[in-house]
Amino acid sequence: MAYNYFLLVRNGQILFRTFSVFRMYSNSSKCGVTCKGLHRLSLQPQFHQIFRNYAFKSDLKIKWVRPPKIPCIKPEKSGDLALLPAVDKNQYPLEFQKSEELKTADKLVRRVFSLEFFPRQHSMKILRIEMINSVKRHALDGGSSESKIAQMTADIRNFQQLMEEFPRDKRCKVQLKELIDRRKKWLKFLRKWDYKRFEWLLEKLDLVYKPAPSEFHWITRKDSLRKLTDKHCAEVRQQRLDAYRASLEGQQVDFLREKAKKLQWIRNEEQECGVEPTVSEADIENVLKQLKELQLSREQTLKDEVKLSVL
Amino acid sequence: MALLQASKAFMLLGRCVPSVKQNASKIQVKRLVLDENLHMYFGEFEYYYAHDPGKICKTGDVVLIQQLPEKVTRLITHQVLEVVYPLGDVTDPITGKKVVVGKYRDEIEEANKLFGESAGRFMYDKAPKRGWQEDKKDFTNRETYIKYHVFENDDQPYAV
Repeated sequence: MAYNYFLLVRNGQILFRTFSVFRMYSNSSKCGVTCKGLHRLSLQPQFHQIFRNYAFKSDLKIKWVRPPKIPCIKPEKSGDLALLPAVDKNQYPLEFQKSEELKTADKLVRRVFSLEFFPRQHSMKILRIEMINSVKRHALDGGSSESKIAQMTADIRNFQQLMEEFPRDKRCKVQLKELIDRRKKWLKFLRKWDYKRFEWLLEKLDLVYKPAPSEFHWITRKDSLRKLTDKHCAEVRQQRLDAYRASLEGQQVDFLREKAKKLQWIRNEEQECGVEPTVSEADIENVLKQLKELQLSREQTLKDEVKLSVL
Repeated sequence: MALLQASKAFMLLGRCVPSVKQNASKIQVKRLVLDENLHMYFGEFEYYYAHDPGKICKTGDVVLIQQLPEKVTRLITHQVLEVVYPLGDVTDPITGKKVVVGKYRDEIEEANKLFGESAGRFMYDKAPKRGWQEDKKDFTNRETYIKYHVFENDDQPYAV
């Protein structure tokens, strides 16, 4: 049986080379000297580092959780942060709001003409008008991009409520999806035309705008695990770098002290021997100054940490 | 020598694209490359990282970048000189007035006055600078991705 192995031999000259190693028993007479040698090497723990590409299974304890599928019509996908506000059911529908007769009518008649006794769509019309009124430019504005988007937003939120009640209503679902897409397209245009107005509208209507990712791909276990492994490796690398930095910084104070001492000693020796000293007083003072600054900064950080822990 | 200096002073016009770099911006530069078989030019994109410590350019802006005499890092080779055309803030080059799609902003304001201004309308003079909704409701400053995992302590704002 032949296996392709990547062998890492530290002391020898072979580093990351591919070998076709025949699986042999150690006492097999057919195996040559080199093969035996390699086999022996691989049995020793420090040389037993074999990298295998084919059917590789990571032994990292990474658990992948598949993100739950959220339908595109849900508010968390469509970007609606707020729900439709509740309607005051005591008011009249739009058609009767300016009626003179109703003002003087009987109490019971007025109650029958309130939104309480009208179908849902009459309340929705009012909410829609209110939403448009909150952003429109002037009294007759119905065609500006902000009023269009406000109109669509009211409809979308209405449809989303309906879909919660009647999840099998396909016609409503299709309309809702098309509306969400159309609103997203208008938001995209508005962003290019007038960025300030775009941001104002997002705030006003409580919408979230996320651009589409550059390319589409299905979510698979393999791909996700690869990404998670890469992430894990980056974290490990950063941790080790931080630890190394901390260890080096831990040695800094002792090093500077030692340095100052040694420089002083060199200066004294040279002066005793009657040679022009290569180390000046300023050099030593410089090192001592560095040491002092370092110690001060360390104390300051310690104090800050204590303060934070107390808080 | 002259050629070298010319190449150093070389400036490029490009569009800022989302990136995660802290003190640099990623600039997309379009070049037309001739296809000799078809005798036609096709657009090709090149990407440069330009040093931009103040983050003066935002995603979508058209900016002028200049090559630095020496690289700041392995990636950062240019610096941002100025924002030529900010995204969503169009100025008419002839009259110097601000434009929204096919109309001047003044015209829009005048029409509003004629029809009767509404109280909740958008006002340019009171609007804050671009970027106040960044990372709150507007997530265009970073590249979005398709959600591939549920992290415990991370709600992944840039995941779609």
